[in-house]
Amino acid sequence: MSATANIIDLSVWQLAMALVLVAAIIVVSLRQSLGLERDLAIGTVRAIVQLYAVGLILAAVFAAARWYWILLILGVMTGVATQAAVSRLGKPVPGATWIAAIALTVSTAATLAYVIGVVVQVRPWYEPQYIIPIAGMILGNSMTSAALAGDRLQSDLRARSDEIEARLALGFSGREAVEPMVRASLRAAMIPTVNGMMTVGLVQLPGMMTGQILAGSSPLGAIRYQMVVVFMQGAATALGSLLFVRMAAGRYLTPAHQLRRYML
Amino acid sequence: MLGSRRRCLRKFGGMTILHEVVPPDCDENDPIFEVDHLSLDYPGGRSHPVVEILNDVSFRVERGHTLTLVGPSGSGKSSLLRCLNRLVEPTSGTVRFNGYDIGSFDPRELRRRVALVMQTPVMFEGTVRDNLCIRPAGVTGDFSENRLVATLDEVGLESKLVDREAATLSGGEKQRVTIARALLRDPQALLLDEPTSALDPPNALLVVETISRLRASRALSIVAVTHQPDLVRRLGGGLLYLRKGRVEAFHSLEGSDTVLDARLQAFLAGENIAGEGGRT
Repeated sequence: MSATANIIDLSVWQLAMALVLVAAIIVVSLRQSLGLERDLAIGTVRAIVQLYAVGLILAAVFAAARWYWILLILGVMTGVATQAAVSRLGKPVPGATWIAAIALTVSTAATLAYVIGVVVQVRPWYEPQYIIPIAGMILGNSMTSAALAGDRLQSDLRARSDEIEARLALGFSGREAVEPMVRASLRAAMIPTVNGMMTVGLVQLPGMMTGQILAGSSPLGAIRYQMVVVFMQGAATALGSLLFVRMAAGRYLTPAHQLRRYML
Repeated sequence: MLGSRRRCLRKFGGMTILHEVVPPDCDENDPIFEVDHLSLDYPGGRSHPVVEILNDVSFRVERGHTLTLVGPSGSGKSSLLRCLNRLVEPTSGTVRFNGYDIGSFDPRELRRRVALVMQTPVMFEGTVRDNLCIRPAGVTGDFSENRLVATLDEVGLESKLVDREAATLSGGEKQRVTIARALLRDPQALLLDEPTSALDPPNALLVVETISRLRASRALSIVAVTHQPDLVRRLGGGLLYLRKGRVEAFHSLEGSDTVLDARLQAFLAGENIAGEGGRT
């Protein structure tokens, strides 16, 4: 990394000054009777503890730079993302955890392999400085889109079950009968990402780009990375939601082209 | 239409036998439907117990005849109807169509032979024509203009409706379009799931008239669920009273030798038995 000389390292005192901002919110919450003081205090403590713990773990992993440590970290990240995606479903789908785990693992692995191996060409591939933040961004997008698509699929299947049954009764296969709902869910999951591409950089600077600029990169160098990030997030969104919705839709159907209404 | 689509796998012991949906050796004297000891449970889960929907139901429907299922709501009538075209899989027991276990047919082909008209008519996006012609890719049939017009006429709709947006039709028109859609597939049997209950009285009457006319002209086998005494009388045939998933009474409207069960008598007199102590 170039221009590291320009980075201002934050001291503990400077961090403490930032806490004044939280104190200000707590004052607002008290005066406006928002009742958020407790949560704000807990949130602040959690943010400090979690980020500190992650910092320590990352520092250790960066120092060791062993591929198996990287894989372990990626595995834990995927596990947490899977749980988060499943917990956002309105009603539990049997096997949803496995479906989400497969969808997130495959979509993240495929996108990550392409970005690391072909686009950025990191050598060795497990260089933690690159693979951890990139994997995190991909996983985050896959997770959000899978949850969004899954939630929409559930509500659509429930609301349009008569339409599905009418198609089945006309001799359509189960897959054909749920196709309109699958498509609607995929669209719902992808629209935020597509809209995000439209306004990227205009409304606010993306987090990664901001971080790179703060860390001393030139804006022109940072936007190149940001472009890669935008495109890979698009791919992760599409792949994650596609795999999740296809597999989840299958859970609502039987091999005899029947809709499992009792699951809705 | 004798290609691989009409062929299906029939599991017989360990062997797999291919045969046509309407087997060439199908005996015209075979009942169209034979239901034996049919039971249906919805599986339980961590948060809810197993729900019993049907319990040991048996009956038969002769070719060209009609059977009407009546009973309180939640008594399993609609589920029973859906067991006949395999939209619902029974937990135990058998359903035979044309003398063959329905499990031996491709469910998609079975459903084209056993058409279902649902309580709330489902119109897909597009015109009436789109709705009449909708079919899975690769499925053939006569969907010519003349046939569409003739079929619309059969259900009492004018031919000019064919280019109307389906969403703009009245409830009664929509229901008759769904009946026409079913007829275009040349079904051997028609399953009617409360076809008039979502309609206002004048529209309901039109649909009742359409159905009773079809019954006479097409010699269709019909299994119907209805709460409407008028439709029951016009359909004739057998009357099966279902309560809490069990057959409580059967009566043939064609012979007058048997004593009519009190509940059926009340039903035919126009009393609403829909709310009577059923499961919902």
